[in-house]
Amino acid sequence: MLALSVAAVLAVFLVYVSLAGGGTPSIQPSELKGRSETVVLGGRVLAGWKTTGRVTTFRLRDPKGTATARVRYADSLPDQFKTGRDLQVKGALQNGVFVAEPGTMVTKCPSKYVPKKSSS
Amino acid sequence: MAELGRAALVVCLGLSAYALLAGGWAIAAHRRRLAVSAQNALVAAFGAALVAGIVLVVALVRHDFSLVYVQRLTSRELPLGYTLSAFWGGQEGSLLLWLLVLTGYSTAAVYTSRRRHADLLPWIVPPLALVATFFAFLLVAIASPFETQVAPANGVGLNPSLQNPYMVAHPPLLYLGYVGLTVPWAFAMGALLSRRTDEAWIIATRRWTLVAWTALGIGQLLGAKWAYEEIGWGGYYAWDPVENAALMPWLAATAFLHSVMIQEKRGMLKVWNVLLVILAFGLSLFGTFLTRSGILDSIHSFTESSIGPWFLGFIALVVALSLGLVFLRLPLLRSRTRLESLVSREATFLYNNLLLVALCLTILWGVIWPLLSEAVRGEASVVAGPYYNFFLRVFGLPLLLLMGIAPLVAWRRASLRSLRGSLAWPAGIAAVVAVVLLLLGAGSSPAGLLAYTFSAFVAGSIGYEFVRGTRARRAVDGGGWFAAFSSLVGRNRRRYGGYIVHAAVVLLAIGIAGSAYDSVRSQQLSRGERMTVGGYTLTYRGSTQREVANARELRAQVAVERDGKSLGIVEPGKNFYPVEQQVSSEPAIRHDAMSLGDLFVILENANGDGSIELKALVNPLVNLIWLAGLVFLGGSLIALWPDPAEQRRMLERYALAPA
Repeated sequence: MLALSVAAVLAVFLVYVSLAGGGTPSIQPSELKGRSETVVLGGRVLAGWKTTGRVTTFRLRDPKGTATARVRYADSLPDQFKTGRDLQVKGALQNGVFVAEPGTMVTKCPSKYVPKKSSS
Repeated sequence: MAELGRAALVVCLGLSAYALLAGGWAIAAHRRRLAVSAQNALVAAFGAALVAGIVLVVALVRHDFSLVYVQRLTSRELPLGYTLSAFWGGQEGSLLLWLLVLTGYSTAAVYTSRRRHADLLPWIVPPLALVATFFAFLLVAIASPFETQVAPANGVGLNPSLQNPYMVAHPPLLYLGYVGLTVPWAFAMGALLSRRTDEAWIIATRRWTLVAWTALGIGQLLGAKWAYEEIGWGGYYAWDPVENAALMPWLAATAFLHSVMIQEKRGMLKVWNVLLVILAFGLSLFGTFLTRSGILDSIHSFTESSIGPWFLGFIALVVALSLGLVFLRLPLLRSRTRLESLVSREATFLYNNLLLVALCLTILWGVIWPLLSEAVRGEASVVAGPYYNFFLRVFGLPLLLLMGIAPLVAWRRASLRSLRGSLAWPAGIAAVVAVVLLLLGAGSSPAGLLAYTFSAFVAGSIGYEFVRGTRARRAVDGGGWFAAFSSLVGRNRRRYGGYIVHAAVVLLAIGIAGSAYDSVRSQQLSRGERMTVGGYTLTYRGSTQREVANARELRAQVAVERDGKSLGIVEPGKNFYPVEQQVSSEPAIRHDAMSLGDLFVILENANGDGSIELKALVNPLVNLIWLAGLVFLGGSLIALWPDPAEQRRMLERYALAPA
């Protein structure tokens, strides 16, 4: 019985993973070129971002590199969004612009625990 | 002052290491006096940690910015309450709190066990001392809160979004929970080391586990409340790795609290119980590792600390030692009895355990998936809300149903006829609720409808148990219903406290399932324009700005109406903190006593032309989540309340049991 129950739990898990895939790739701007599937893009916000209405356009840079990507995000910005902040956002590349899905932006806040010395 | 703090930590390290080595030697060589000396050293380590803690508190209150830690986390302008909360506001202080709580728990365990579990005590000191030595070592050698500098005029201050009363209480409660799980683990290891694999360690640790589990549960709810009110996206839990880090040991401890009952009553699941304790403690260390190492991307982002590898090494050591010991003692961990029927109380507890552990492990899989996928495929990938929500439904809904069935099933073997009789009332209530909800349109979310139906079933089952028990008590004692009810709960605190905790889980499930019926709307509004959401009409009346001590506050005035009736003005806004260069959303939350839900209004943006971007959510039943916290606390306290008669019964029973 125990073995059957464990097998049932495992089966549910495996069916989900096989149907839904193994998650969404998490990449940096330098790895974005030529990819059209949905990915999670992570990087550092560069100066010069602009918000018009609910739409914000900005550039993300590799945290430890120079490659950048243009991002369009049509939703409210998290409080911690600002120049120099590291963040992640889910979306796909469309005509050279990374179009992010609303509600997917996660900013890495310089929390009370350890200040991010590398942040500008 | 800093020297005193540093010295206290060095002394604490020395005492903990002595307790570990002397305690280990004492049990190996059967040296009783050395074992007592090791126990005393562990108690003295608490004294040393307390001195270090007091030094840090004094430095915080005196704004002693010559301590890097104090300067980095506080400022002269910070109110006293938040200044004190900076104790656990940074990594080094958090580690000191870990050590303080751990040595405090160890001291309490030593004193309470001297009377009740004197034979186990020498064996639990080395495991406790091992953990204390590790944390004291980190504080002395890697991350000292007493690092000094030339004192600047003022400190950096605390992140504005953390200046919230819930954030003052949330971390220490989590620590009480995380650290508290060390004690059951130490007792389990002590039992294995001493070959006393009967139920003595289970009895000794039940209350410790309950304390840790309650603190961890309340700590998580306070964190959720903070996120709801302060972060301002309208939600309270986002399956963030650091949030999951606290949930996983709580789930493992929940499974343990249930499975120990099977070992107590039927002498089964001995290996499983030891493994659950190891899992819970290992996950509490893993949770601390996650928050400290910055290895995973998290909104909490504690980032790039040097203690990560130390933690990983320590977790590996603890897990290897624990599993090795279980393997060595396997012959002693055979069950005294076997499962007699698939329809019995122990069988339902077993299903409950499997589901809880399955949920816990699937969450763990999701948390470490970025690391695994990067190691295997060379490219990290992440799983998000849909993954976790899927497993919450698949494992959580049957768990909810089992919570209603298990208390009504007899031990050993239940007859289907008696079970039908017990389940008739709860099942009838659930069926009526399901039909009513379907007629009201709740079928739009099948998972939500199932959650409500199962919740009604569990509520019916709990009510049935209380009514049945009270009636029986009244038949025995006579008197009124209230007296019989009080007597029932007072004489069976563990059982009925547990039922009250189950009622809290029902409230929580209803509150969470309410999110399936959320209404959300975002709209640009010029002055005088209106929008509707979930039956509310919101009219933008204008906005105001004002300067306060450390921020500029922008507030939009939004008139709220429902069914043509004015409900007043709400003022969502944003605060701009020039020193910290930070914006903080200040959502307006209007509670509705009738629906137990909230109207949650967020000012997303103020445009240059005077218009605003407004987002409004109607969160039905969300307040039940916070109410669940209070009920959970009440039920836990009842289950925790000392019951000398029960304790005596237990000790008598197991003193006679064959080891």
